Amino acid sequence: MERKLSEYISLSQTIDVTKSSKKIKVGILSSFTINGLGETLTVKCSESDIECKSYVAGYNQYNQEILDPKSKLYSFAPDITFLIIDIRTLLNKIFHHPYSISSSERKKIVKEKISELRNLILQFKKNCNSKLIISNFSLPSYSPSGLIETKSEFGFHDMISEINQELSGIAKDESSVYVYNFNQFISKFGEKNIFDYRQFFIGDIKIAFDYIPYLANDLMGYVKPMLGLNKKCIVLDLDNTLWGGIVGEDEFDRIELGQSSNGKAFVEFQKHLLSLWQQGIILAINSKNNFEDAIKVIREHPGMILKEEHFASLQINWNDKAQNLKVISEELNIGLGSIVYFDDDPVNQERIKQEIPEVLTVKLPEDPSQYTDILMSLNDFNVLQKTDEDLKRGKMYSQQRQRTELEQSTKSIDDFLKQLNIKVTIKKADKFTIPRISQLTLKTNQFNLTTKRYQEEDILKFSSDNNMIVGCAQIEDKFGDNGITNAFIIEKNDKEWKIDTFLLSCRIIGRGIEDAIISHILKEAKNQGIKKIRADFIPTKKNSPAEAFLPNCGFKKENEYWVYDLNNPIKSPNHLLLEVE
Amino acid sequence: MSEKLYNIISKVFSVPISEINDESSPETIESWDSFNVLILVDELESNFNIKFSVSEIIDVKNVKDIKRHLKNHGVV
Repeated sequence: MERKLSEYISLSQTIDVTKSSKKIKVGILSSFTINGLGETLTVKCSESDIECKSYVAGYNQYNQEILDPKSKLYSFAPDITFLIIDIRTLLNKIFHHPYSISSSERKKIVKEKISELRNLILQFKKNCNSKLIISNFSLPSYSPSGLIETKSEFGFHDMISEINQELSGIAKDESSVYVYNFNQFISKFGEKNIFDYRQFFIGDIKIAFDYIPYLANDLMGYVKPMLGLNKKCIVLDLDNTLWGGIVGEDEFDRIELGQSSNGKAFVEFQKHLLSLWQQGIILAINSKNNFEDAIKVIREHPGMILKEEHFASLQINWNDKAQNLKVISEELNIGLGSIVYFDDDPVNQERIKQEIPEVLTVKLPEDPSQYTDILMSLNDFNVLQKTDEDLKRGKMYSQQRQRTELEQSTKSIDDFLKQLNIKVTIKKADKFTIPRISQLTLKTNQFNLTTKRYQEEDILKFSSDNNMIVGCAQIEDKFGDNGITNAFIIEKNDKEWKIDTFLLSCRIIGRGIEDAIISHILKEAKNQGIKKIRADFIPTKKNSPAEAFLPNCGFKKENEYWVYDLNNPIKSPNHLLLEVE
Repeated sequence: MSEKLYNIISKVFSVPISEINDESSPETIESWDSFNVLILVDELESNFNIKFSVSEIIDVKNVKDIKRHLKNHGVV
C-alpha cells in the first residue's frame, strides 16, 4: 500500500541521507504545481539507499529553464530531469474548443506543438548531460463532440494521439531521452481520481495529492536502473506461491493450478513471471519440499506455465531458506541485492528480511488473486536500454547449468577449461557495443576494479577521445554465447597508461578470461612503446572477487597504485583463443 | 474535536501542539502556506470523513475559521 503525500513530506524532513551509498540529482520541471514530488522522491530514494538532491523549477517555468543556458536548472546539473507538461497547458484554448477550428487548422497546431516539444528536447540536450524523461499527454475522457468524437476528421483525441506518437518518435532517436507514459498513468488510476477540480482551482494542481506517491513510484523506475539498482532475479517459493496447496500433503490432482478461481490466480501469476523471464529476468526456486514431489508437479502438471527449463536454479530441499538464497546467489553469480523473493509464508518473509536485508522480500498477502498486481507494481525490473545480452539471459543461465555439470564430471580444472573451447573477441566501442559497455559499468559489482559508473553518453564521449581506449570482449564457448561480458577503459599518455575501468561479468569469472584480456592490453601497450601501466583497486562491499587480480597478474604496489613494468615478460593463458575485431 | 484537529495541524505544519490556538494563522506559523493548507484540507477530510467546498477552503484565515467550518460539517 502506498503512503500519503503528507507522510512523505514529514518523513523527508527527518531522514538521514548521508548514510546512503549512491547519489543522484533530480531536476523536476512542470507546467503545473507539483509540490511534494521532490520530497517523495527523496524519501523513496533514501529507502533504496540513494541520496537524492532535487531541484524543482518554479511553477510553469519549464520553457525559461530549458531555453536559457544559464538557468538554475543547468547550474544545478541534474543527472536526470523529469519534464511534465499537461495537455491543458500544451493546447491552451484549443483544449476546450478544438472544434472552433477546421481539421486542417488542428493539424497545423499539432505540427507546431510537436516542433515546440522537439525544440525543448534538443535545447535541453545541448545545454545539459542529464537524462530527460518527458511525459506524454493524457487523452481526456471528455470530448466536446461527444460520442461522435471517434468519427471526427482529425478530431480532438486524434490530435493528442498524434502528438504522443511523434514524441515517442523523437525519443527513439535520442538515446538520453525517454517518454514517460503519463497517459497510461492516468488510465491506471483514473482521470476522476487524479484530476481534482478543487485542487486545480485553488492551486493549479493537476495531480491530486494522493497520487503523487504513485507517480513518484513510476519515476523511481528510471532512477533505479540508472544507478544499477534494478533487480535481475526472482526467487520463488512453490506451495501457495506458484500453485495452491501443499505438495506431499495434498494429492497431485488437488493442487490448485488452472481450474478453480484460486487456480487461475496462480496461472496468471506464472504467465507474468514467464513474460519477465522472456525479458531476461532470471527465475529460481527456493522451497521446502521433497525434491521428487515438487519436480513431479513442475514437470507433469498440465496447469504449469513455467517449466524446468525456465529456472536457473532449483533449491528444493529441507535446508534453511536463507541458506538456500545464498546458494542461489553463489550458483548464479549474482549479488543478493539483485534478488526479489516471493514466499507466501509471513514467517519466511520475516526470516529473510532479518537474515538477508539486501534481498527484496515481497510482502505477499494471503489471497493469491493479488499476486499478479503486486508483481506488476514493482518498479525494480526496469532497464533503460535492452541489449541482446538481456534478452538471451534466460538461455545463457541454462547453458551455465550445463557448464557446471561438465565441471563436476571433469577431473581437473585445466581439463575443464580446455574442453570449454573458449573464444574471446575483443571489440571496439561503437554504436552496437556502447549501450552494453555502459550497462556493464552500471551493473557489475563483483569483478570490478574501480566500480566507476558511466552512462551511455559518458562512454560515447570517452570513445571519441584520442587519449582513451574503450573496449569490450565477447565470450563464446562450446555451450554457447555469453555475449559481451567484459569492458575496459584506459587513459593514455605518452609514457604510461592508466586503467580507469576493468570489469568482468561475474558469470565468466574463473576461466582465465580476465588474464587473457589484461595480457592483451599489456601487449598492446608494449607495442606502442609504453613503459608502465598503472591500475587502481578501489575496494567496495562487493568487489572482493577482483581484489587479488592485479597482484596475481604481476602488478606491483607503488604508493597507492598497482603498476606493471612492461619490461617484464607478459604471460597469457593458452587454453583459450583470443581475437581482436 | 480540538485535540484531533491540533494533532493534525501540528503534523502538517511541523509545529508543537502547545503553539497552536484559535488565532494561529500564516502570520504565527511559518510553514502555513498555500500548499500546506491544501495538505491540511486533505488530512482533515480523510480524518473527519467530510468534504470542504472551494469557498470554505479559501475562506480559512486562522484556526478559528477551520473550527467553524468543521462544525458546519457536523464535526463536534
